[in-house]
Amino acid sequence: MTGSLTSELESVEAWFAARGWTPFAFQREVWDAYLAGESGLIHAATGTGKTLAAWVGPMLEWMRCESLLKNERSSTLRPRPRLRRSDAPALRVLWITPLRALAADTRAALADAQAALAPTWTVESRTSDTPAAARARQSKHLPTAFITTPESLSLMLSRPGAPDALRELRVVVVDEWHELMGTKRGVQVELALARLRRTCPGLRTWALSATIGNLEEARDTLLGASRSSAPSRIVRGVEPKTVIVDAAIPPIVERFPWAGHLGTQMLPQVVAAIEEGTSAIVFTNTRSQTEIWYQALLSARPEWAGVIALHHGSIDRRRREWVEQGLRDGRLRCVVATSSLDLGVDFSPVDRVLQIGSPKGVARLLQRAGRSGHRPGATSRVTCVPTNALELIEIAAARDGINAGSVESRYPVTRPLDVLVQHVVTIALGGGFEPDALASEVRETHAYAGLRDDEWAWVMRFVTSGGESLRAYPEYAKVVPSEEGYVVENAMVARRHRMAIGTIVGDAHIEVRYLRGPKLGSVEESFVARLKAGDRFVFAGTPLEFVRIRDMQAWVRRAKNAQGAIPRWMGSRLPMSGELSAALRARLGEAAAGVFRGAELEAVKPILDVQAKWSRIPSVDELLIERVKSREGNHLFFFPFEGRLVHEGLAALFAYRIARLAKTTFTMASNDWGFELLSVDAAPLDQALASGLFDANDLLRDITASLNATEMARRQFREIARVAGLVFPGYPRSGKSARQLQASSGLFFDVFQRYDPQNLLLSQAEREVLERQLESSRLGRTLARLARAKVVITSPKRTPPLAFPLLVDRTRERVSSESVGERIRRMQLVLERAAG
Amino acid sequence: MSESAVSLDAEIAGEMLTLLPERAAYWQRKRTLLVADPHWGKAASFRAGVIPVPRGTTTGGLDRLAAIVSATGATRIIFLGDFLHAREGRALETARALATWRQAHAALELVLVPGNHDRRAGLPDSSLGMTCLDAPMLEHPFVLAHHPVSSVLGYTLAGHLHPGVSLTGRGRLRERLPCFWFGRDYGVLPAFGEFTGLADVSPEAGDRVMAIAGSQVLEVTLSVR
Repeated sequence: MTGSLTSELESVEAWFAARGWTPFAFQREVWDAYLAGESGLIHAATGTGKTLAAWVGPMLEWMRCESLLKNERSSTLRPRPRLRRSDAPALRVLWITPLRALAADTRAALADAQAALAPTWTVESRTSDTPAAARARQSKHLPTAFITTPESLSLMLSRPGAPDALRELRVVVVDEWHELMGTKRGVQVELALARLRRTCPGLRTWALSATIGNLEEARDTLLGASRSSAPSRIVRGVEPKTVIVDAAIPPIVERFPWAGHLGTQMLPQVVAAIEEGTSAIVFTNTRSQTEIWYQALLSARPEWAGVIALHHGSIDRRRREWVEQGLRDGRLRCVVATSSLDLGVDFSPVDRVLQIGSPKGVARLLQRAGRSGHRPGATSRVTCVPTNALELIEIAAARDGINAGSVESRYPVTRPLDVLVQHVVTIALGGGFEPDALASEVRETHAYAGLRDDEWAWVMRFVTSGGESLRAYPEYAKVVPSEEGYVVENAMVARRHRMAIGTIVGDAHIEVRYLRGPKLGSVEESFVARLKAGDRFVFAGTPLEFVRIRDMQAWVRRAKNAQGAIPRWMGSRLPMSGELSAALRARLGEAAAGVFRGAELEAVKPILDVQAKWSRIPSVDELLIERVKSREGNHLFFFPFEGRLVHEGLAALFAYRIARLAKTTFTMASNDWGFELLSVDAAPLDQALASGLFDANDLLRDITASLNATEMARRQFREIARVAGLVFPGYPRSGKSARQLQASSGLFFDVFQRYDPQNLLLSQAEREVLERQLESSRLGRTLARLARAKVVITSPKRTPPLAFPLLVDRTRERVSSESVGERIRRMQLVLERAAG
Repeated sequence: MSESAVSLDAEIAGEMLTLLPERAAYWQRKRTLLVADPHWGKAASFRAGVIPVPRGTTTGGLDRLAAIVSATGATRIIFLGDFLHAREGRALETARALATWRQAHAALELVLVPGNHDRRAGLPDSSLGMTCLDAPMLEHPFVLAHHPVSSVLGYTLAGHLHPGVSLTGRGRLRERLPCFWFGRDYGVLPAFGEFTGLADVSPEAGDRVMAIAGSQVLEVTLSVR
């Protein structure tokens, strides 16, 4: 650090000392690097001082500037005390956070240090939850440090005049970068950063990240081409705290269900664990499970009403904030939550963390464990609660993964054209652009570094003339050339686009609100669409009766009892990570050799004994295939243990290859352990194995063909259609004319396939399924492993334990070499029983 | 796996109707095609709303209509409502495609029973020479209407619903298809238009449902759980 900074650094140290802290070496390293103009990435477990590492540098820089200015001015002239909000220094720090829930907490944490070190600054946050009045105030004059989400940042860029407001911007800090990087929202951030770097030369970028397997790539993705123009570094925070993982062991494993994700049989143990501590977080893997466990806890301990709460992303902001505050105050005994509470927020009183169901990944379990003992150096403990007996093995495997330090990587998204289409319209709204300049700016991101000329040309065509390769639509004009470059002139397009920016993730959502009273949150449209007036469902812990849908809102009234459906949120089934899969195979391999290490494996031994007796426990170098006959038909169960995504791909591929040998129709189910192919007549498995079922030849061609045979690409198109602005959420009270412009993404997919098959959004859907959903590279590696494996085929009389969860899985894909007509002849329409 | 088109003859209210996989019904005795919900110009109205939908859905539909006119030898088409999708979809090219089609089929009698979309979209151009009614049409034994409602005047044939059914079978098979649905008091035709979706209908025991499975129309077995 330069000598001229001594006094500023002393004030920082004094501020630390007043709290009984001393700056960590890694924090000082970041401050020095920041002041030297460097960018970089800081990784450490949560609650170890990453925030201050990134936050103090910009304030030191400001303090130095101020004291230089003061020396130049006469020493008698004191800076006037700040009177009005608009007198504060212009925007200098942009702080991007992935979760709305984090914004308020981050603001409080930043404001704490700022009040002492840079008192003239303002620190504010803006998310989609921010009231309109505050937004308007912020639009007029941005605060000195601004905390916002990727969506709100894009919205800022869509306002003309943004460049002026950003003149003084020095640094963008991206919090929880590991969460954003593997998603399209991460790409949205990359694009915004490229824009900001053009507007503010010398801009620094710092990311805060949990420790992941590919930190270099994470840093490079953040910095894009700017990496070559300025030095950057990766800074490691303090050593991770000690993590203890244990499992709640069911007392009688034999009577415990083998499958069934929703069981609350472990309720007594969970209640006991909550009672052990003063404040607990119970994590589940899906929003529906939070609702189920919240209800179960309330019925087990009615006296807890008011001191237990639930928290998930669909719940209204005010309720979420109340819950978060309750955790901070230690007022709440227990909160049932999804990943909405995974990140950042500091809930010091929490001393007990429970994980319902398998954590599905090593990094995720570490993150959740870190919610307790949220202080540097403290011990974190997490108790995993299996929802079926076999999950005990995954829990043991997760602990193995933590001990071995095999933390998962997050892979960045490349070239999603839907996000680029959205960004181009955003920039057109925000003052216009010249195509060549924008293309080169976009190529400075990691995501679009490899953007091809024809892809860029297609994107330009798509936003100006509708995108069909041969003809333009005269009636279509979204982005039009003008004297200021390409701009948006149509006010309806502008309004619709700004509404759509916020919907880059998730299904279309509909607000749930009382007939007379406040809104409760939002739920997926697909769930509401299935409801009839009078239907009951549980949401935000409250039993509700559905009344009607009007103005894009679901109107409800309170119902008397809690009997009813729990909304099923899409995309909530996390696949098991590759690291965890490997650890799981190793554990099963030990069991195959008769070794049952630890309490979890001992507990699950009776079930594995049944598996061994009826079929087989596969060792690491074996592929187990089980043939089972039932009333429903002939089942083939395969067990590669590679995670659900890879299994979906393998199931489609195998079904396709077998169906080529004989005319047949398969329905398939997949989970993290294996997959099932079900057909009415027995499939020619032996013939398929002999003719190269695991063959790597023609792999890509066969995967693509099998993909087209399923609905996977069509489903993937939902998200793409939304991001690219084909379907939009619609405005409240928009009336009939807007409704006539609503069609489902499936309809778009069909029409594009038939009349515009060259549309690049279609090939993007295919590519996304291949690369991200099916993890085609991992799929190729799995095939190679299976080709080397010893295939063991068993024909058990009854469905053995490993196959049972697949047998009862109702969500199915289909691959068929028969025509619809041939299939329909064997089918029927089951009538609903008359209401009685 | 291409199969030749297979239609299905069904006796409805004592009349013989040929149910076509092209999503229309042919009333043999009257040499009349019944076509519900073509929604012409729907894609164009999306384009006018700055949502890019490819061209071709209207001409694709008109080609299909021409094919069944020549295959059946029909002399009249009765449209059961929702002829045009929206006012914004009355683009020049939609009008031109319809006019060209009309010229090639000048002798055909064209009748339109009004639907909910027709009220906002407006009536088809008078140069098409269509008879546009302002109420359901009575032609014994049928009441030809847009909305499927019971009538004392006869058995209603209608559209509006864009009916579809979800079929299930052994081996956990599931299939969702457009269909014809004939209940006690009324029958509903599938939507003819290309860029239209499906809505699941709930038939009752005693109803008849014919699903469109690719190029075939097949009667569906109904079973009560």
